Amino acid sequence: MKNIILVGKPNSGKSLLFNQLTGMRQKVANFPGVTVELKSGKFDQYQLVDFPGTYSLQSLSRDEELAIAKLHEAMHSDDTSLIVCNLDATRLERSLVFGLQVRDLAFQHNKGLIFALNMIDEVSRFGHHIDTEQLAQDLGCKVHALSAKTLLGLHEFRLALLDAAQHPQDFIPLKTEEASQPVLEISRKLSQQYGIKADVVLKRQNKIDDFLLNNVFGGLIFLVIMFLLFQSIFTWASPLMDGVEAIVGQLAALSSSVLPPGVVNDFVTDALFGGVGSFLVFVPQIMVLTLVIGLLEDTGYLARAALICHKPLSFFGLSGRSFIPYLSGHACAIPAIFAARTIESPRKRLITMMTIPLMSCSARLPVYALLIAVLVPETQYLGGLLNLQGITFFILYFIGILTALLVSTLLNKLTDMNTDQAEMPFILELPTYRLPHWKPLIHRVLTSAKQFIKRAAPVIFMVSVVIWFLGYFPQNGDLQSSYLAMLGHWIDPIFTPLGLDWRYGVAILVSFLAREVFVGALGTLFGIEGADENIAGLAANIQSDGLALGAGIGLMLFYVVALQCVATVATIKGETGSKKIAWGLFVGYGLLAYFLAFLAATFI
Amino acid sequence: MTLWEIKNKQSAMIDSLDATLVPAIGQRLNEMGFASGQLIQCLRRSPLKGPLVLQLGDCVYSLEQSIATRINITAA
Repeated sequence: MKNIILVGKPNSGKSLLFNQLTGMRQKVANFPGVTVELKSGKFDQYQLVDFPGTYSLQSLSRDEELAIAKLHEAMHSDDTSLIVCNLDATRLERSLVFGLQVRDLAFQHNKGLIFALNMIDEVSRFGHHIDTEQLAQDLGCKVHALSAKTLLGLHEFRLALLDAAQHPQDFIPLKTEEASQPVLEISRKLSQQYGIKADVVLKRQNKIDDFLLNNVFGGLIFLVIMFLLFQSIFTWASPLMDGVEAIVGQLAALSSSVLPPGVVNDFVTDALFGGVGSFLVFVPQIMVLTLVIGLLEDTGYLARAALICHKPLSFFGLSGRSFIPYLSGHACAIPAIFAARTIESPRKRLITMMTIPLMSCSARLPVYALLIAVLVPETQYLGGLLNLQGITFFILYFIGILTALLVSTLLNKLTDMNTDQAEMPFILELPTYRLPHWKPLIHRVLTSAKQFIKRAAPVIFMVSVVIWFLGYFPQNGDLQSSYLAMLGHWIDPIFTPLGLDWRYGVAILVSFLAREVFVGALGTLFGIEGADENIAGLAANIQSDGLALGAGIGLMLFYVVALQCVATVATIKGETGSKKIAWGLFVGYGLLAYFLAFLAATFI
Repeated sequence: MTLWEIKNKQSAMIDSLDATLVPAIGQRLNEMGFASGQLIQCLRRSPLKGPLVLQLGDCVYSLEQSIATRINITAA
């Protein structure tokens, strides 16, 4: 299949154009450099490849370097039939700097090139008109005005693209008379001739910034947004979670009444519904978290957050750009580690990657939620606006962030002496505020849930089944004399200092595959032991079984700090190219987690 | 004077980029519009010597101290 390549400056509406052309809902984000990997989708008989946004063909950060290397590769490839360069009509000068560089590259390699003049609806809204015919002549390439958002001109562009892909040789850029001038000068001249006045475009954006970046309110608003983000995980998601829990409970009750009593019935109720079911309950929380982070990203607020955080984060040896990987690390560490590529300074990037696993990712959510439900009463304040469980959640996340900052400071001090290379500075573009596009956002939320289930469910299923077998036999259902109990008593000495019995030990051990297994495993263990067939109330089961407060808090701290995720270790290894760093972190955070849990169990 | 000394809401003209800048960064700044003769306006200064927010051409950028001190300007 022939490829059509889509390039452009960050924040130029490129990803949305890609989505509209392919119909595939790829991540659209209003923050420079969010597209860190190549996305592709089918466009008619062609493969449309979305390249990460870059300002220039000269790279500064790792993600740009990758994108530019890929672009050069594509220019040499015979499979590349056409290049589409996306321009932001409201910021013609900056878009053209890159656009003209691409034009020269296409000319060198005899590749066809079309310009898509995106966001034309905003230009029209300000009463400005861009003469695309004339602009096309000056550029020596076809220019199509369109809006990927309002679909204006999109149908015509689609047809033009299909036509051009048929005979791309006719779309090789023509040498114009100015072509020998420096790119910067041409783009300045062209934008003065065709572009819209910057003050007009930026007026609204600057007004909003006056408020959101205000020296007093700005920080306050930032804290309120972050606090609401964490509260929302609890309050918005709880009706959905109750719904999932009720459905799982109904199904379990139904299957146990249909099946004859015996081993099979016990297996289905305890291993299947008890193990896998108790983790499905937390999927809504992951969806809400993805939704809120996605909203912040798409509106353009994340770039402001990075700006607000830059100074505070630089005290810990990090950059404002570390904020985005840190924030998305609360959904999942793996995309967050990839997102760290946007950090220009190699050292800050490394420190950010090494501390991302301390962000409480969504796999920890089930564990926190379970332990909070066991240990913290449902007290409400301010007429239900705040509740104690939500606040505890916030504290746990905060401890993770605090630990990350402390570790960053330490790493910064340790690596300080051997930095001869110049530090890459913090330069950030503040994008225009935009209303989020709902369709891709909702798709992203659904994908996050799907991926979470797909990644975790098989492991959880296997672990649940194995644990159930080990715990059920040899004496059908008597846990205290099962194989698992034998195994558990053997590892018991490790967990006794933490005030935890062998069942928690087994659950912690298996959760080193993936944290969320903890809940499923514990569900299976308590399901077998509980005489009643009620799987819904795992928290209630643990409460009646008794879990000391100190040990419970220790267990929470253990899960905040420990790096219990094989996939994260593998990703860190891949991104740093160092086995030593990856496994060093695994061991280091493991020991620290154990130590903290020990302290909590001993002194609380 | 350097860009770091610009006052809030003040406009200025860029003179030159400091020669001590790493070439890659100098070029990027150029491509972003930080070139001699360009008008620049300070939109805000952050507390505690935090990053500057500047309007340059059709874009709004945020720059930190280490880079702003290496851009020379003339107050307009």
